Amino acid sequence: MMVVKNLSFTYGKGTAHECRVLEDVSFEINEGEFIGLIGSSGSGKTTLIKHLNGLLKADSGDILFQGRSIYDKNYVLSNLRKEVGLVFQYPEQQLFKSTVLGDVAFGPQNLGMSKEEAEKAAKDSLKLVGMDESDYYVSPLELSGGQKRCVAIAGVLAMNPKILVMDEPAAGLDPGTRDMIYRLVNKIKRERNISIMLVSHHMEDVAEYADKVLVMYKNKLVRTGTVREIFSQTEYLKSIGIGVPQITSVTERLIKAGLDLGHPAVTVDEAEELICRELNRLKGKGKDE
Amino acid sequence: MIRDITIGQYYAEDSVIHTLDPRTKLMGVLIYVVALFLVKNSYVYFIFLALILMLYRVSKVPLSFLLKGLRGIILLLIFTFIFRLNSTPGAEIAHIWKITVTEEGMAKAISLTSRIALMIVGASLLSYTTTPKEMADGMEKAFSFLEKLHIPIHDMAVIVMIAFRFIPIMLEEMNVLMDAQAARGVEFDKCSILKKCKNVFTLLMPLFLSTVRRASDLAMAMEARGYSGDGKTSKMYPLAYKHCDTMAYIGMAGLLIIIIALRIIM
Repeated sequence: MMVVKNLSFTYGKGTAHECRVLEDVSFEINEGEFIGLIGSSGSGKTTLIKHLNGLLKADSGDILFQGRSIYDKNYVLSNLRKEVGLVFQYPEQQLFKSTVLGDVAFGPQNLGMSKEEAEKAAKDSLKLVGMDESDYYVSPLELSGGQKRCVAIAGVLAMNPKILVMDEPAAGLDPGTRDMIYRLVNKIKRERNISIMLVSHHMEDVAEYADKVLVMYKNKLVRTGTVREIFSQTEYLKSIGIGVPQITSVTERLIKAGLDLGHPAVTVDEAEELICRELNRLKGKGKDE
Repeated sequence: MIRDITIGQYYAEDSVIHTLDPRTKLMGVLIYVVALFLVKNSYVYFIFLALILMLYRVSKVPLSFLLKGLRGIILLLIFTFIFRLNSTPGAEIAHIWKITVTEEGMAKAISLTSRIALMIVGASLLSYTTTPKEMADGMEKAFSFLEKLHIPIHDMAVIVMIAFRFIPIMLEEMNVLMDAQAARGVEFDKCSILKKCKNVFTLLMPLFLSTVRRASDLAMAMEARGYSGDGKTSKMYPLAYKHCDTMAYIGMAGLLIIIIALRIIM
């Protein structure tokens, strides 16, 4: 659905503060895909996602959305903003209307929907993120941190994007709320069948939900692959300052200690399965002898 | 665009003038302005022009900055010139449309315009060579004698410093907000003025909220570390006059004497 080709970007081009942030980045987002984008701080992740809906314009390279270049002179960027929803870090900062419903309906209204249509879209999204109907008309500032974030996410969802890009949606939340947000992300993907791109420092979450993982390091896209392909490269990931899921380290050490699991697990469920299988095998072997 | 606002006009260089004590520079500007007003004969302005050119040279600030300082007040200069030209009685030399140009008017207009221009150029040199922080420090020290009159100079200085410190933070926050709202379909570039004003409101509200929150956090943090406003605080870099400051003061005194002497003679 979206193809990013050889994207390069430099901040403050032509000034003394010139700073290269993206170098030759290429990848694809397919329909219904869940992509995890990982990389250490300052590797260019946020800059990259700002390109996806045209907030930043690349110096060179191209982005094709549904086959058309978004850098085309006749391309209407506001349409792209509708199709590619961007949820920034700490999105609750952007809330400004006096009611929850008004704030969520703000996005769709900007995109030319009538008030009724926008409110309908807003209500749908609020329901999807699990907001109580009694909270629709309170001020967003009266909500708890987790609820605020849900409202902010709903504000982007209400525009009905085909691709939802989320930058650290669970940053700064307690573990319970974090799980809730991730379950929510998964639910959004299932119910709306949209593509999701998730930027996260939490390898566990990426391993749990993503189909495909992109790894950024020093302004470059250094690895692309399935969760298993990426997280089996423990040494490499450690060398560029990002780890692997805890459970991967644990299973790896088990293997080193002589437990024949076949391959390191990327999620806890998988590890459970592998270890049980191996233990049963060992038990069976014991009986035979 | 609103995104790139530059605060202060500091031009980073390594020159004698940059290293001067901010108090010296403040005093210098004061003496310079007073001296400008003591001038009676317009030819004396050439001395000032030469002085300013020399100072810009020494400070390594490019001369284009000198013109940049003037560009901001170009309207003021033009109006001053025309009104002085028009409204001074004397021997008429020309009459264009409704403007009567007199010989005295001409002389007055030239002298007044150059006085304002020289004043601005001199004062901008101060802001080119002094960071806002140094300026606030210098002001605080220079006016600290007023503390004896129970005027809270130290508190004012802290307020000014904090205000300066917050500007880049707010700018950054505003950039984040602009991106976030743009992602929700708000246009900031290509739309009418009216729409723009309306859209700016989507930034002001959250910005205002976060500023209030930040301010109360800061107050709490300062109190938690025992800051109470009274009592002496020590400085990381205390201001101290150096050798070149003495030289600068001597130079200023010299300038003042010369100008007063010129006023008496001419």
